[in-house]
Amino acid sequence: MANGAGWFDRFVNSLPERGWFKSLSNIVVVPFWAAVDPRPKLPGGPRPSVQPSESLQRMMNLIMPLKNKSPVGRAMAAMVISQNIDEIFTGLDNVGTIHFARFIIIDDNLCMLSVYDGDFSNYIRDFIVAIGNVFDGILSQVEGGDDVIPTRDNVDKFIDWVHDRDLFQLPDFATDIFALQDAAMGRPANSAAHKLDELPRAMILQLKANPNFSLGGGYRGYAGLSVAQIRQKFGLGW
Amino acid sequence: MSKTLDLNELQGNILRGYRADLTNVRYLFLEVVNLGEARRFLGAAIEGVTPGIPKITTAAHWADQKPQMCFNIGVTYEGLKALGTPASSLATFPVEFVEGMTRRALKLGDFGPSAANHWPAPFDRPDRLHLIATIYAVNQDILDDIQDQVSQAFSVLGVRDARARTDANVLGPQYAGDGSPNNRVFFGYADSISQPKFNHLTDAQPEKTSDSAPLGTVLLGHPTRMEGVMFRVPSPKALGLNGSFNAFRVLAQDTHGFELYLDQAAEELEQMLGERMDQLLPVDGEILIGFEKGQRREALREIVAAQMCGRWRNGTPVANSPSHPIFNIPNKDQAEAFNAFSYAAPSACPVGAHIRRTNPRDGEVVQRGSNLTRQMVRRGMPYGPDFDPKNPDNEERGLLGNFIGANLGAQFEAVMCDWLNLGLLHPDITGLNDPLIGANTPETSAFDLLLRDGTSYRLRGFPRFVKTRGGAYTFLPSLPAIEYLSQLKSR
Amino acid sequence: MSFSVGEQLFESVKRPDGPTPEDKLRPVHTYGIGAYGVFKASTVAKNFCNALHFRGPQIPVTVRFSNGLGCMAQHDSWSDPRGMATRFYLSEKGENEIATDLIAMTLPEYFTPTVDTFLAFAEMAKPTPYRRESAWRKIWDLLNLKIPQPDPNPGEIISPYEGAMAFAGLNDFSKYSIYQVSMIGAPVSYARAAYHAVHTFIVTGQDGTRRWVRFAWTPTVGVLPRDQNEKPQDHYLAHELRDRLSKGAVEFCLMMVIGEVGDDFADSSRPWGSQRQRVNMGTLTLQTVADDQITDCERLSFNPMRLIDGIEASDDPLLLARLQTYEASRTARDGASCPFSRS
Repeated sequence: MANGAGWFDRFVNSLPERGWFKSLSNIVVVPFWAAVDPRPKLPGGPRPSVQPSESLQRMMNLIMPLKNKSPVGRAMAAMVISQNIDEIFTGLDNVGTIHFARFIIIDDNLCMLSVYDGDFSNYIRDFIVAIGNVFDGILSQVEGGDDVIPTRDNVDKFIDWVHDRDLFQLPDFATDIFALQDAAMGRPANSAAHKLDELPRAMILQLKANPNFSLGGGYRGYAGLSVAQIRQKFGLGW
Repeated sequence: MSKTLDLNELQGNILRGYRADLTNVRYLFLEVVNLGEARRFLGAAIEGVTPGIPKITTAAHWADQKPQMCFNIGVTYEGLKALGTPASSLATFPVEFVEGMTRRALKLGDFGPSAANHWPAPFDRPDRLHLIATIYAVNQDILDDIQDQVSQAFSVLGVRDARARTDANVLGPQYAGDGSPNNRVFFGYADSISQPKFNHLTDAQPEKTSDSAPLGTVLLGHPTRMEGVMFRVPSPKALGLNGSFNAFRVLAQDTHGFELYLDQAAEELEQMLGERMDQLLPVDGEILIGFEKGQRREALREIVAAQMCGRWRNGTPVANSPSHPIFNIPNKDQAEAFNAFSYAAPSACPVGAHIRRTNPRDGEVVQRGSNLTRQMVRRGMPYGPDFDPKNPDNEERGLLGNFIGANLGAQFEAVMCDWLNLGLLHPDITGLNDPLIGANTPETSAFDLLLRDGTSYRLRGFPRFVKTRGGAYTFLPSLPAIEYLSQLKSR
Repeated sequence: MSFSVGEQLFESVKRPDGPTPEDKLRPVHTYGIGAYGVFKASTVAKNFCNALHFRGPQIPVTVRFSNGLGCMAQHDSWSDPRGMATRFYLSEKGENEIATDLIAMTLPEYFTPTVDTFLAFAEMAKPTPYRRESAWRKIWDLLNLKIPQPDPNPGEIISPYEGAMAFAGLNDFSKYSIYQVSMIGAPVSYARAAYHAVHTFIVTGQDGTRRWVRFAWTPTVGVLPRDQNEKPQDHYLAHELRDRLSKGAVEFCLMMVIGEVGDDFADSSRPWGSQRQRVNMGTLTLQTVADDQITDCERLSFNPMRLIDGIEASDDPLLLARLQTYEASRTARDGASCPFSRS
């Protein structure tokens, strides 16, 4: 009895793999905990930091459901972007803090994924000034976009709108999720109220509140460098 | 798109400063405990005819009769809530104002000793800080009287006094020459030299309009420097139009620590520069700086102080006078001309200098086109006891700063988190923080001194010289907005 | 009798089923294997650190890999952090040799930031009798969305698990490290794990610039943990390394991560994030297993404070305390003397 695993022990160990147990979790267990011990939806984007390496090469993962969920709708979204290439390049060159920007359409969601330096709202605001027109075009194709067109007249509102759709970034260190949740729920920090074995619950419930999320802030091959630093070092002019 | 602006409808401290004439200042940090009293006070303050209630100073021209006292208010988000502003209206205020400075502290570099959880009362209870009232007066008695009057309608959570420094004369000849001792700050620099000008409104002579800043730099509802862009005016219009936002900060300056660092830096330069010394302080250069021949270490200290700031202690810009300060500028026009300097490359002012980070003028900036869009109005006054370098002490002293603009996110916060700290505006300083007021630690700080031949020498190891000891984001309502607030009805 | 801090720490990590003083073995990292090799600095290393081993020429090294477990019985496949202690020789080996040590382990951070908190942790995490959690209890844990207690390894009758979990619950600073160590498992080879030196050191570059940094070894062939669903194996790591080295060299890169404003350099319980600048300081090539495992492995006494010009310790209290701890350990097992020994 002491150390040997009987058949029942082995069965229980295998539960998380069994289909019916997974269904049970999804249909009963998780919703139960979500009702009893809910976690708030956490805001998206990288969290403010005083450390240079966390303030450079930051990730924005913007998910915007298309209004017209069909091949025609996707084509229209694709056209809006491809017809404004000049504007987009001009914006990139002059805002000066964007490493990469990609547009992807997945399952009728227009995703804008970019890597940028510095503060999020400064980057969006500078972008509005430079290419607000393109933004207006894109917004006209996505759900909720009409609320903030024209972006030039709704600068603050647009920044908030984008922020709401930027994906939550899981903390690099999983146990930091407790502190993030406490802060969001107004509880004092450093409370010794979290047992380590509750980490799965905290994580699962958080990912119920934030079903789309980024695994941390991403991994970098040459961390801690700004766009201008790279351009300067390689003699490309910044 | 310019509307005619009625100066009587604006609070006076936005478009002009009072410190030239009224050198005694008191800040009152107020909590609304009796809603009826608070509203009555606000209603009476805009009229200004009720005895026992001070009049809100407007932006109207002073003509011949300068006032003995100026009184203005700012309201925090908690304050707007406490005064009964409807939720639908509160939802139209910008997110940084709603969250409040305490929650945004990390973005502003307030960590470690500056962290918000170290802030003393009344800043440790941002939920109770509802209004900040400022009193500028010719003497202390008036400050006490007005405080008394205000305390009848609000609970006074705390008080901070500030006053123009009177100790410029003990600091030495390098500090002389600009004729206005009233704008000296601790660290010894002349402050408040460069401000956006709104000439067409505040000057009696309307012809000086060439370099005015658009009203949208400070007032909501007007065009900004960003082409075609307007900030949202909080609703209803009566509340939001012609309002402004202020970032109020209590900034404690480690004056002694700064002077000690200058000693250390001067000594290091003497040891390390060798033949290159000629490129930083040539033979007899110390005399031009205002010292006796041979006082080279003292001169080196001043050079470091000047390059870190971007101005010599008396205000001379390093950009147009890199080797020494200019003493005795003949008149105000000359001073203005001298202050209209450029950072066009090659510039003698280091890129990382404080005033260049916070106001890059025409210098090359990574975020092209944003050179002028982050400008704000600064109103500040020193607090704390005088500092005597011959008898240094570590009493708390510093600056009560106000950073005013139409949008905190686009101006104050944008400068603090990307330019002042992080140095994102230029690749040479990216990853480094402002030497004077940045979030520095001795293990990681660095500043590049510029030598005459274009090479640089990197100074390291300086600590944080300025600690944040409190602050709040306030909304500076127009007079019609104050009237709106005074007439709100409780549900 | 009053104990020095080092002696206290040395005593605190002992397990009841660990080696006795007569065994003359280390109280933790008891089992290991030594190997010889060389280290060659990268071309940029001296810009960051001017210490002798970073100046360029290839230098000899001795490395001791080890299991963290302080049990008298060896259990290679038990979930356990591994150690990699490296001695860089800057002169001929011998009594007056000039050398420097870098001690690393597969856990990137410590459990606690200070000596006192470490002693409290060691006290609370003392191994206690450990039984398999009942199946019903596990079902209850799963329904509560909690981690069920891991099954004990065959032969494992005491474990620090319960004490460590209790400590983690009470102390925020230890949550991440204890979480990581509970999942650390075992590598398929000592050569396929990444080792972290944990503490912050201060390196001085050729131009005099001082930087606060942390070191880590990353294996060129990549990290590969063992599949813990397989049957446990008590003795495989040493054989595996002998075998691997007989077929070819084993390489590690020395990565140096640079500290930034806002870091608490005295706190080794806080890991540094993944976005940092990492500098490749050089390559370690291990060539052969040490001939004399007693002299070159068991009695070799590494010390994390054995530093040379160009590298200094930060104010990390645990790093500074380890000077004495390792001395206490060395003395207890008659290890070879080292510059820090008094006698």
